[in-house]
Amino acid sequence: MNEPGTSAAAGEAIPDVPTRIRTGLSAGFGTSIKIIKVSVPLYVAVTLLKGTPLLDLLGKVFAPVMGIFGLPGEAAFAFVAAFLLNLYAAIAVIAPLHLTPFQVTQCGLMMGIAHNLVVEGGVLSTTGARGGVLTACRLVIACAAGLLLRGLWSLWETAASWATALPGLS
Amino acid sequence: MEVLLPALLGALKLSAKLILIIVPLVTLFEVLRYLPVFRRAGNVVEPMMRGVGLTRDAAIPLFTGIFLGIAYGAGIIIRVAQQKGLPARELFLMGLFLATCHSVIEDILIFIVIGGNGLAILVVRLGLAVFLTGLMARVWKPA
Repeated sequence: MNEPGTSAAAGEAIPDVPTRIRTGLSAGFGTSIKIIKVSVPLYVAVTLLKGTPLLDLLGKVFAPVMGIFGLPGEAAFAFVAAFLLNLYAAIAVIAPLHLTPFQVTQCGLMMGIAHNLVVEGGVLSTTGARGGVLTACRLVIACAAGLLLRGLWSLWETAASWATALPGLS
Repeated sequence: MEVLLPALLGALKLSAKLILIIVPLVTLFEVLRYLPVFRRAGNVVEPMMRGVGLTRDAAIPLFTGIFLGIAYGAGIIIRVAQQKGLPARELFLMGLFLATCHSVIEDILIFIVIGGNGLAILVVRLGLAVFLTGLMARVWKPA
């Protein structure tokens, strides 16, 4: 029954539905607790630091880089949180910053591609793929996606403003 | 104190929203993952996968990654990749696709919660993943 060779070949046994629900609920709450432990302190910290000279100064330092993607300088902290930790940490930083819908979308796109780089890079290496190369790819792709979205979004807004400017349409 | 209290309240509200997404999503996945439909789905997606240079062997790790994410789906991705003995080219292409487009349901839902446009995120990520992987599959010819 528990011989490693045969169980791996036969695939995993299928548990019944109540067991699956229990597994799902406990896994979900387990994950939630891990997330809250990180996101609550981060959210509180960013809210308290917001508007202080420290955060304003650091925001100004990153403003030129973040500006390329249409983001404010403060968004750099969310990127640090996303790269090193995960998206939940990033969201805890973004939420108190009160960004525009475009800026939230842009963060979601770029961070969705490049996040949790340390852990996931390790996972990708274990499969035999080249983890370092793929991690570098993710950073490059995230930047490319950011530029693409910014371009598409401004095209969309221009088109929308033309449509409303046309007499008879508005 | 009057600064700390709203901050804590905001943090708790955000946490509550995230829990409301994560718990049902993980539970739903656990309930559905053993359905035979998902094993047969391989036939449907095979032609699409060939377009980006992947074979059927990569289907389970690929779709696990797309829907679940790399960290959460790690167990399945690693096990299947080793069992099937996927060649280096396919591992790279799969990795490239997943690097751009993974964990789409959860990632997008949590950004919608804080006011993002989920459709825009999905379209750009999926489009870019198909484009880049398809391109690399043509650059790196199978041996």
